[in-house]
Amino acid sequence: MKPNIYNGLAVTTALVAVMDSAAAQDYGSYPGVTIEAKFIGGQQYEGLYGRIADWEALTGATVNILSKKSHFEIDREIKSDMAAGTTDWCVGSNHISFAPQYEGLYVDLNSLVPAEVLAEFVPGNIDASTVGGELLMLPRAQFDVSVLYYLKSNYTDADKAAAFKAEYGYDLAVPETWNQVKDQAIFFSDPPNFYGTQYAGKDEGVVGRFYEMLVAEGGQYLNDDYTPAFNSEAGVRALQWFVDLYEAQAVPAGTTSYVWDDLGQGFASGSIALNLDWPGWAGFFNDPEKSKASGNVGVAVQPMGSAARTGWAGLHGFSVTNDCADKEAAASLVMFLTSEESQLAESSGGSLPSRTAVWEANLEAASNGDDPYRAESLAAFAEGAKYAFAVPAIPEWVETTNIVFPELQAAIVGDKTAKQALDDAAAAVDELMQDAGYY
Amino acid sequence: MRRRLPEWFVLLLPAFVVVAAVVLIPLLFSLYSSFTPYKLTRPSTLWTWIGERNYERILTDWKFWAAFGRTVLFLTIALNLELLFGLGIALMVNKVTRGQRTLRTVLMFPMMFSPILVGFQFKFIFNDNVGLVNNVLQSLGSDAALPWLVDGNLAMFSILFAEIWMSTSVFAILILAGLFAMPRDPLEAAKVDGCTPWQSFRHITLPFLMPFIYIAMTIRSLDVARAYDIVQIMTGGGPARRTELLWTLMSRTGYVDAKMGLANAMGYVSILLSIAFTIFFFRKLSAARAELGMGG
Repeated sequence: MKPNIYNGLAVTTALVAVMDSAAAQDYGSYPGVTIEAKFIGGQQYEGLYGRIADWEALTGATVNILSKKSHFEIDREIKSDMAAGTTDWCVGSNHISFAPQYEGLYVDLNSLVPAEVLAEFVPGNIDASTVGGELLMLPRAQFDVSVLYYLKSNYTDADKAAAFKAEYGYDLAVPETWNQVKDQAIFFSDPPNFYGTQYAGKDEGVVGRFYEMLVAEGGQYLNDDYTPAFNSEAGVRALQWFVDLYEAQAVPAGTTSYVWDDLGQGFASGSIALNLDWPGWAGFFNDPEKSKASGNVGVAVQPMGSAARTGWAGLHGFSVTNDCADKEAAASLVMFLTSEESQLAESSGGSLPSRTAVWEANLEAASNGDDPYRAESLAAFAEGAKYAFAVPAIPEWVETTNIVFPELQAAIVGDKTAKQALDDAAAAVDELMQDAGYY
Repeated sequence: MRRRLPEWFVLLLPAFVVVAAVVLIPLLFSLYSSFTPYKLTRPSTLWTWIGERNYERILTDWKFWAAFGRTVLFLTIALNLELLFGLGIALMVNKVTRGQRTLRTVLMFPMMFSPILVGFQFKFIFNDNVGLVNNVLQSLGSDAALPWLVDGNLAMFSILFAEIWMSTSVFAILILAGLFAMPRDPLEAAKVDGCTPWQSFRHITLPFLMPFIYIAMTIRSLDVARAYDIVQIMTGGGPARRTELLWTLMSRTGYVDAKMGLANAMGYVSILLSIAFTIFFFRKLSAARAELGMGG
C-alpha cells in the first residue's frame, strides 16, 4: 500500500493529546524473565539497543540478544528456526518485505498491545504492518525512502564546474535526474581513490534499487496478474544505468558484493561523491567522529527517471513469536523499542519515526532552525517519502529477488546484455509464480 | 519361555541405536523430503508427495550443472595443488634436523583456524578497495584496483588460494608421517647402486608415499566437496554465479528460498560426486598398496 505521511499526520493530530500518557507508559514488571531476541544489526541501530538497559531497569526482566545481523541473514536464520521448530525466542526484527513469508511465526499484536498505544502510530504504518488481518509487528520507523546524499565540495569548485559544462553542456548542480547522476558520477570518478557513486549489488538490495529505477522509467515489476513485467523496455533502460556506471568504473569494482553497511561506511569514508541511501544514515554521515564526510554532506530528494520520481520503501519493526514463553513481557519490550522516547532518540540520528508525536517534535525542531543539516535532511526525507511505493506483499517477493539478483549482476559485470539478463530472470520468475499457483 | 536376544546383538544395540538416531533417520528423512515440495516456512508441505519432480528439475537445470562442473574443477585444482605443495613442504621438513618439532607445530596453524575466520581474513586481503593485496600493488606503483572477488577467474583464484592456504598442511602432515615410517634400507641400497636423488625419489620414496597420498586425497576430497564457509563468506557464490559451487547453491535454495525439498534432492545428486571421488581414490589406494606388496 502507498504511505501518505501527511494524511496520517492530519488524521492523527487530534490524538497528540494522548501522547502525554504515552510518555509515562507503564512497561509492567517481569522480574526474572529473560527475553531472547534476534535483532537487525548495523551501526544505525546501536543507539536503540543501548536503551534496552533502561527497559531492563524498569521491568526487572533481562534481554538476551541471540543475534544481530542484516535482514537478509536474519531471514535465513529465522527460516531454519522455523524448520527446526526452535522458535521459542521472543522478539524478532521484521520488515514488510519479509513478513508475509513467516506463516504462523509471529503473534497478532492486536491482542497484546493496548488500542490506545496503537492509536499513537501513524495509521498507514499500522496498516502496512498488518498482513491478512494480523498486526505482525510494531513499526520502528516510517516507510523510509532513500534520498540522495552528496559531497557539497564537488559543487563549490569553479574549475570543476567549468570542466563539467565544457564536457556535458549543462551546469554542474546537484542532480535532478538519474541521467545527470550518471554523467556526474562518471565525471567525478578517479578510481581507485574516488568514485562517483555506488549501489547495493546483491540480494534484495540490488533488486530494490533496480525496481526503483524501473518504476522511475515507467515500468512495473509484476503485472496485476502477478506475471513478471520487468523485462520491458523500461526495465532494460533501468538496468543499463547500473551497467553503464560499472563499465565506466564510476562505482567501486566490488559494488556487486555491497549491501547497506558497506555502502554507508563507503560514503562515510569520503571517497564517494553521490550516494542514494536511507534516512537512518543521516546522523552518522555528518558525525565528525565517525565520518570523514561530516560537514561536507548535502541531502537532496532522490533524482527522477524519464517517467517519474520514485522511492522503494521499506518499513521495519519488531515482532513477538507465538512460541514465546512470556508474550506480555516480549510485547512490553517491543512497545519500549518503538516508544516515543526511543523514536525521539533514534530520529535524531535520521530515521523517520512511525509515531505521530515524534514527527511533530522533529518538524518543530527543524523549523526552529538551530540545525540546518537536520532541517535540510528532514525536508528531503519528507519530500522523498511522497513518492514511496512498497514491494508486492506476497510471500514470494524475496524468492523472486533471489532469482533476479544474480541476473542483474550478470548484466552489470558484463556476462549478459541487459535484455538477455532480464528475459532469463523473467522466465524463472514466471515459473516460480506458476508453481506458487498465481496463474 | 521367553527367547533371549543373542548376546552380540544386545552388546551392539546401543551402537545401532546411536547410528540410527544420528545418521540413518536424518538420512532417510532428507531422502524422503527430496520427493516433496518441502518449504521451510510451510511445514505442512512436507507431507505432499511429488515423486521425482525435484530430480527432474535438477537434471534439466543448467545452473545446477554449471555449479556441479565448477565444483569438480575446484576440487581437481585444489587437491592437486595441495598435494604438490604438501609433498614439497613434507620433503623439506623431513630434511630439517633442528627445530623440526616446532616447525611441524607451526605447519598446523592454518588448520586451527575456523574456515569462517579464514574466509573473512581473505575477503579483507582481496577486497578491491581497502584490501591488502591491492594496497600493496598500489604502493608499488600500480594504479589498478583489481576486482579480486568480482572477476570470474580472479575470484576462483582467490577462493582457491584461501582453501589451499588453510589445508595444504593436512597433506604435509600425512605425507610427513609416511616419510617417518619409511624404511631406510631401500634408499641406502639405491645410493650404493648409484641412483640419482631424483631416481630414488621417483622409484622408491614416491611409491612408498602413494598410499598416504591417496588417504589424504580421499579425506580432502570430501572436505573440499563440502567447501562452503570460505566461499560463502568471500563471494557468496557471486557475482552473477561466477563462483557458485554446489554447496552455496544448495544452501541458497534451502535456506534463502526455503525450498528444502529441492535442496535435499540437489544434495543427493551431488553425493554422487563424493562417491565417485572416494571410489576413485580407494581404487588407487589399493593399487598403490598392491604395488608395495601390502595386499589390496
